[in-house]
Amino acid sequence: MTDALEFSHIGKALPRREDFRFLTGQGRYLDDIKLPGALHVAFVRSPHAHARIKAIHAGEACALSGVVGVFTGRDLAQWTTPLRLAPPIEGLHPVEMTTLPVDKVRFHGDPVAVVVARDRYIAEDAAELVEVEWDALPCAIDAVDALAPDAPLVDETLPSNLVSHQSFSAGDVAGARSGAARVVESRFDLHRHTHVPMETRGCLADWDGGQSHLTMHIGTQVPHPMRGQLAARLGLSETQVTVISPDIGGGFGQKIALYREELTVAALARHLGRPVRWREDRMENLMAASHARETRCLTRAAVTADGRVLGLELELTEDFGAYCFYPANYMARVIAMILTGPYRISNYAFDVKVVLTNKCGNGPMRAPMAITSWVMEGTIDSIARELGLDPLEVRRVNAIRASDLPFTMPTGEILEDVTPLETLEAAAGAIDVPTFRTRQAEAKAEGRLLGLGLCTVVESTTYGSGFYKAAGIPGSGHEAAWVRIEPSGVVNASVGLMGSGQGYETPLAQAVAEGLGVSPDQVRVHMGNTDVAPYGMGSRGGRGATAGGGTLYLCAQKAQEKILTIAAHMLNLNDMQGLRLHEGEVERQLTGDWQSTGIGLADVARRAYLDPLSLPSGVKPGLDVSLTYDPPPMTYSNATHACEVEIDPETGMIRIQRYLVAEDCGTVLNPVVVRGQQQGAVAMGLSGALFEQVVYDENGQNQSATLADYMVATACELPNIEIIPMHTPNGRTPAGIKGMAEGGIMGAIGVIAGAVNDALAPLGISVEKMPLSPQSIRAHLRSAEKSGGPKF
Amino acid sequence: MSGTKQIFLTVNGETHEVSVPPRKLLVDVLRDDLHLTGTHTGCEHGVCGACTILVDGQPARACLSYAVQMEGHELRTIEAMAADGELKPLQRALHEEHGLQCGFCTAGIVMTFEAYLRDNPEPTEDEVRDVLSGNLCRCTGYQNIVSAVLKAASEMREEAQV
Ligand code: FES
Ligand code: FES
Repeated sequence: MTDALEFSHIGKALPRREDFRFLTGQGRYLDDIKLPGALHVAFVRSPHAHARIKAIHAGEACALSGVVGVFTGRDLAQWTTPLRLAPPIEGLHPVEMTTLPVDKVRFHGDPVAVVVARDRYIAEDAAELVEVEWDALPCAIDAVDALAPDAPLVDETLPSNLVSHQSFSAGDVAGARSGAARVVESRFDLHRHTHVPMETRGCLADWDGGQSHLTMHIGTQVPHPMRGQLAARLGLSETQVTVISPDIGGGFGQKIALYREELTVAALARHLGRPVRWREDRMENLMAASHARETRCLTRAAVTADGRVLGLELELTEDFGAYCFYPANYMARVIAMILTGPYRISNYAFDVKVVLTNKCGNGPMRAPMAITSWVMEGTIDSIARELGLDPLEVRRVNAIRASDLPFTMPTGEILEDVTPLETLEAAAGAIDVPTFRTRQAEAKAEGRLLGLGLCTVVESTTYGSGFYKAAGIPGSGHEAAWVRIEPSGVVNASVGLMGSGQGYETPLAQAVAEGLGVSPDQVRVHMGNTDVAPYGMGSRGGRGATAGGGTLYLCAQKAQEKILTIAAHMLNLNDMQGLRLHEGEVERQLTGDWQSTGIGLADVARRAYLDPLSLPSGVKPGLDVSLTYDPPPMTYSNATHACEVEIDPETGMIRIQRYLVAEDCGTVLNPVVVRGQQQGAVAMGLSGALFEQVVYDENGQNQSATLADYMVATACELPNIEIIPMHTPNGRTPAGIKGMAEGGIMGAIGVIAGAVNDALAPLGISVEKMPLSPQSIRAHLRSAEKSGGPKF
Repeated sequence: MSGTKQIFLTVNGETHEVSVPPRKLLVDVLRDDLHLTGTHTGCEHGVCGACTILVDGQPARACLSYAVQMEGHELRTIEAMAADGELKPLQRALHEEHGLQCGFCTAGIVMTFEAYLRDNPEPTEDEVRDVLSGNLCRCTGYQNIVSAVLKAASEMREEAQV
């Protein structure tokens, strides 16, 4: 492990600046923005999982006072172009979707018509009066059934529901198998989740007919890509669309794609020449926004008698739902790509299938690769169990060590400056495994079930352009920033990211302050308005700090150079050698000490803007600097989670007794914000693993469309999380930043499964399926009883 | 359905005359008619707690009642907290403990504990968690909210002693 780097502002635990407005009710979320005369929409949604639209009768709805009109897929098809996804990826079928369905609906909740009315109450009344004649079709609900040769086709332009299929092999997997002491097979079945940002989706579209310009107010993580999509689908140019993202009440990946409802609202605003708004209700959000995670995996590990993994095979099937807002291989490929993560495995093969079903379409949800660490660490635990070895030892035997770095994974991914063995030892040491084992044995003697899980995570955080190119996905991983010192010496800055609640304003100001040499108080970072911010790729994955913070840091450094060049001239020096900007003052190094020159940033700014003839030759007026930066193809952070549980055999309830994470995410901009992300990610992972579940019945009816049915963990169910921070800098990124925010989910899912299986191991139970609900634990205990195990 | 009713609503000490359809939810009237947008809706079915306000000093879900039912009651919303620009102890503690991220759930939590800490100045962590379980937060994992509430409680006790 390398020591953390030293900085003046980066890494300081400053409290967040957005807090005051949120704490006093002055945040501005989408619904807080009012435009006079705005109309409201409500969507008519399919009650069927799969049905042809025979006719839509809107007469009664239109007759309702206050209704402006009812529009269908046919109307939208005249005003917008379909979304076509056809990246040149082997094994991936091109797909296309219209703005609203024209011929058939594909899942329960699919929007089929839209009502526009004076207010939301009337729009909802009218939506109920729209009558649709349906011709119900057989549906494909389970991914396995959907692959049957006679399964109903979700997308009739495809030869089957297998929308994407890739396989890969590196090294000699067959050889590893034949030379192995044992081949250990393990299964993992992760259920369907949804994002549940506390603020649902919504938008407010304002068409200015005189200017032929659309202003779209929408909580989006990716303002510029959103603008590009809107313009393209509406047949406008990018000069005709402004996207403004207000404060966002959580996104978690749900606020990236341009959804059909949002495009519909924009098209209606233009068609009607009036502002039009939509606020999704919670039922729509749970049923029809986007879903995630439903994935089954099988691994086969060829191992030596001491648990060393000679070869690993993965079979993965993801249930993608009915529509592709992203290339269908997008999430699954990352799982397969980074599966081997913390371990020295070179013989590796995968087979990845993505299947369409009649359910809500998938989207990336905070940690699209969420299942990865469960699959890898669960495989390690199975190996330990089958061979009768200590799971901690099996981890140590296989772990990548400092001397292995940089380590090339079998998929070609390069790990550098990661510390999986160090986080493992830190977590195992802190939890004190031997003492736990003693307690566990004592508890067992009393008939109590205690378990310990360990889960090491290697989290892909920042995806550079090199990644996208290699993946065949159009797009870039770069980010863009500008830093502008105004004539009075204060600093405005901007970047293409848009936070959805993480608290970017403070850490990004710290990155600018560090690069420039001012106090963070002097800096204001502007985000979310495409007319203000430079074209950037926005917020997704764990790229905020490396791509966003890194770009701002580099841009601020460039601005500092210009400032010092001017200052040197003001001081009659030949060049900026031996000068620095520190806390807004130009300082000069004399005999080792930094001494004030009496020149402040405001003096330099005044000269740059208001007295440009006094600038050194070749220096242009103004202090306005911009820069783009493309991170390495991938950066990685790593962590080890450790969790102790006790299972109540009578109720099946899992109680988390202790939870800790040793996490190495390199240089952090602001440890307060990072800790918040770590806690939040673990919480979301545990909530998903233990409680949340999107449920469809066999007819494709969504059974979990209220928050009473889709259960998000409350304060009573979640533990306090201890964090052991580690900061090995990445040698290839600005300031050594690595990024983070998703690994906590990967670790939480893996570690809770490990802990539960450790607790149930004496009963011969191995749980392969999530969620780990009391009902499912009880079912396992009952079947263990039946087969002669102890009775609870 | 479109008939409206003239009512008087007392919010944050001020009485407003509004004309609203009888079926209009309290939360919508607060937000649309009175422009008090600090109260949020996260579910509109009484589960998430984002819309929590005080009705006669007791926490209530503004998405579960109609504005016309509120005549003669004293309503308080987040806008009344720190109206003078000074954060109250719980708001300050939430800031210091990083007890909020996106902030969407925050107003409901502040209002819930405004009432709770008034009546229960010395809560345990378990009690705080129990009360907090009526407010969903998708961002924080609750840990820092709990520590903020405990910190605010102890500060308020100290203040009360001075
Ligand atoms: S909006 Fe009222 S409880 Fe959720
Ligand atoms: S801070 Fe985002 S929901 Fe609580």
